[in-house]
Amino acid sequence: MPDTDVIVEMRHITKRFPGIVANDDISLQIHTGEIFAFAGENGAGKSTLMSMLFGMYQPDEGEIWVRGKRVDISSPNEAVALGISMVHQHFKLVRNYTVAENIVLGIEPVTRLLGLIPYVNMRPVNKAVRELSERYGLEVDPTSVIEDLPVSTQQRVEILKMLYREAEILIFDEPTAMLTPQEISYLLDIIRKLREDGKTIILITHKLEEIKQVADRCAILNHGKLIATMDVATSSTRDMASKMVGREVIFEIDKTPARPGPVVLEVSDLTVENEHGVDVTQDVSFQIHAGEIFAIAGVAGSGQVELADAVAGLSPVKTGAVLLEGRDITRMLVRPRTLKGVSYIPEDRQDVGLILDFLLEDNLASKSYFKAPFSQHSILHKDAFDAYADDLIRRYDIRCSSGALTLTRSMSGGNQQKAIVAREVEQDARLMIFVQPTRGLDIGAILAIRRRMIEERDKGRAILLVSLELDEILAVADTIGVMFAGRMLKVAPADQMTREEVGEYMMGVKHA
Amino acid sequence: MSAVNTIIIDGLALALPLLVIAIGGIFSERSGIINLALEGLLGFGAFCGALFAYSCVAFHWFAPDSLAPMYLSFIVAAAGGALFAVIHAMLCVKFRANQVISGVVINILSVAMTGFLTSQINKTVFSGPSSRFDLMTAPRLTVPVLSKIPVLGAVFTRFYPFEVLILILLVVFWFILYRTRFGIHVRAAGDNPQALDAAGIEVSRVRFVAVLISGALAGIGGMCFAYSIFSYFSGAIYLGYGYLAIAALIFGNWKIMPTFAACLLFGFAQSGASQLVLLLKVNSSVGDLAMIVPYALTLILLAFFSKHNRAPRSLGEIYDKSKR
Ligand SMILES: Nc1ncnc2c1ncn2[C@@H]1O[C@H](COP(=O)(O)OP(=O)(O)OP(=O)(O)O)[C@@H](O)[C@H]1O
Ligand SMILES: [Mg+2]
Repeated sequence: MPDTDVIVEMRHITKRFPGIVANDDISLQIHTGEIFAFAGENGAGKSTLMSMLFGMYQPDEGEIWVRGKRVDISSPNEAVALGISMVHQHFKLVRNYTVAENIVLGIEPVTRLLGLIPYVNMRPVNKAVRELSERYGLEVDPTSVIEDLPVSTQQRVEILKMLYREAEILIFDEPTAMLTPQEISYLLDIIRKLREDGKTIILITHKLEEIKQVADRCAILNHGKLIATMDVATSSTRDMASKMVGREVIFEIDKTPARPGPVVLEVSDLTVENEHGVDVTQDVSFQIHAGEIFAIAGVAGSGQVELADAVAGLSPVKTGAVLLEGRDITRMLVRPRTLKGVSYIPEDRQDVGLILDFLLEDNLASKSYFKAPFSQHSILHKDAFDAYADDLIRRYDIRCSSGALTLTRSMSGGNQQKAIVAREVEQDARLMIFVQPTRGLDIGAILAIRRRMIEERDKGRAILLVSLELDEILAVADTIGVMFAGRMLKVAPADQMTREEVGEYMMGVKHA
Repeated sequence: MSAVNTIIIDGLALALPLLVIAIGGIFSERSGIINLALEGLLGFGAFCGALFAYSCVAFHWFAPDSLAPMYLSFIVAAAGGALFAVIHAMLCVKFRANQVISGVVINILSVAMTGFLTSQINKTVFSGPSSRFDLMTAPRLTVPVLSKIPVLGAVFTRFYPFEVLILILLVVFWFILYRTRFGIHVRAAGDNPQALDAAGIEVSRVRFVAVLISGALAGIGGMCFAYSIFSYFSGAIYLGYGYLAIAALIFGNWKIMPTFAACLLFGFAQSGASQLVLLLKVNSSVGDLAMIVPYALTLILLAFFSKHNRAPRSLGEIYDKSKR
């Protein structure tokens, strides 16, 4: 190996899954101490490639070299021994254990009771974790229990886990997908700090902005192939996007002014409480008209998700009313609501949105399977499922290895989301509720969904959008409602509010 | 002896064997493997232990009044239970079979196998037509001073030696589950096996060992019944106490100390009910009704307390490395 600077090298890596080539002859080099980003459409093979570096899969062809030596990484254990660690899209934490217990899992320090009986002593671990956390500014308390912690803190626990194991190569798989903008910039700071410390960082993300902010170099994958490795400093996000999608990307979204019709959804004085009996929304009122996109802005945890859940019928209403086209649906069950014309894209795609162990076609039909043509005289017609799924897969560009018969769990995160969007849009509902619809999606898919929202609006549907991303809200909303601490602080037409104003309401600084 | 004393003495004699079986169940279930096989495991363990103790007497391996066969039979019962549990472990961990079905099948297999073997062995080895192995009655111990304490003294009165053994096992296995590396891995395997795997620990090994532990402890529990309720081994050992132990560990929220409390509750419920029957002097067929008390109690508790319970998150889930 001539280049001592190269810490990881992949040579002609190919990985196949039944029906699909997830990685196709990929060769690249990653240097010590750089932040190396991967971008690419949903299902392009980013997670698969890095899972091989982490030993979760083995390449079918090709070689991996680490620090100038050829390695066979056949388990995560061996990866860790090589100083490679990974934070997955879905965290791997034991939820009823403390932070420190999770961090030392598998390498628990043993002390001898009475010099004889071995037992696990957490005290030194707690101390070490606390020091490590302070050194990188992670603000994690080693003794808190995982299930009590918000997602962003859990992620920092994962980071601590890597640091505690003295990893040199840190892989992050879409670390920002679940975070709020504030949390994202905090995380990016941490990542920079890690680089200053000499760590090598591999970052998979869909957000080209983030790549632009922190990364040194960026590899673009498309359909399993390596398209380019770019120097971030000298390329624009527009370049990256077009390489990623394989054609020029048009960022602008055509949006004509709304032509609102009659009121479709009316929410009045809605109060919802969570399972602990705490009011998470308080006396929220607003209206959405046909042909209008009403977007709720707010920092995470302002009550917007609970509000959407209550409108969709997933959680009970404490006081107040929800009216759909003048009819009271406050206490209506979900199925009749669906039939009356409410469709819903939930925030939690894996737990609420999909049944992961079902086939894609079953998930696509899961809101209409009881109707013709899927069911006749209570007997399901598989052909109808197949035909329907094939149609949706084509029209919504869902990438999956075995078509309608793909196991949903095996699909990439972004394509799972596309499946939900397809199912819900096809409901042909009067009111469409979108909660974080573009989370984890690639830039092409994001633009497609935003355009779709506007298209549906133009067809006269009422759309309720909940998003943590201000960009998204400003791109599509006709009316913006800002929530703060469970209250709707401000409702105004989108063209009468500036980004700064919305931001101030979101932080609760400004009041109506 | 007062009725209260008897309730305490008999209650403990039932509660403690239940507890040791339930602790075994906790190990298995905390590691993520549903264990309905406890009933079959305790029966097979008791069969092995009893066969050993019976042979000791029949072949004069020890002096006629030696207690050694009894004590050794507990070790044999533990080994036998663990051996039988290998079937459950293999099916559930290695071959990823449905854990409920595996458990139920093991129970049926255990009844059939021990019944068949008992009469065959009796016929061929001991040349008797019996369908049971007779055992000595276990001695009962009383601590001199402590037993004189009013009411509580009953705890130190006329107890079986195995009750002491079980209390020691309680401490040992509590320590293992909550304070050792293995225990940490067991509990992690039942909550998030992916996390344990990512931490470099072989999930299937942890689960395998946990199931073997459940077999060994169930075997010991079964042996206790053979020496206390029956003083012989036969098909009568399958009284449903394995299932009662499962109920106890569920009320105990898969935690050892609360499960201890649940076992005490069941034990005292049963001994209390039989004392009540005696006091009321009803005839014996009605008296048998007392036997249903723990089970009726199970149903009632189940209805009221289930919603507060939280099973291990991955209980019953087949662990698949490649799942994401
Ligand atoms: N275990 C598996 N079995 C079958 N197919 C798989 C498996 N894992 C991944 N795939 C397929 O391989 C392809 C690449 O998936 P991968 O998860 O690497 O994509 P990705 O680039 O990370 O996408 P996303 O941005 O949506 O997370 C997808 O088409 C996916 O369906
Ligand atoms: Mg991915």
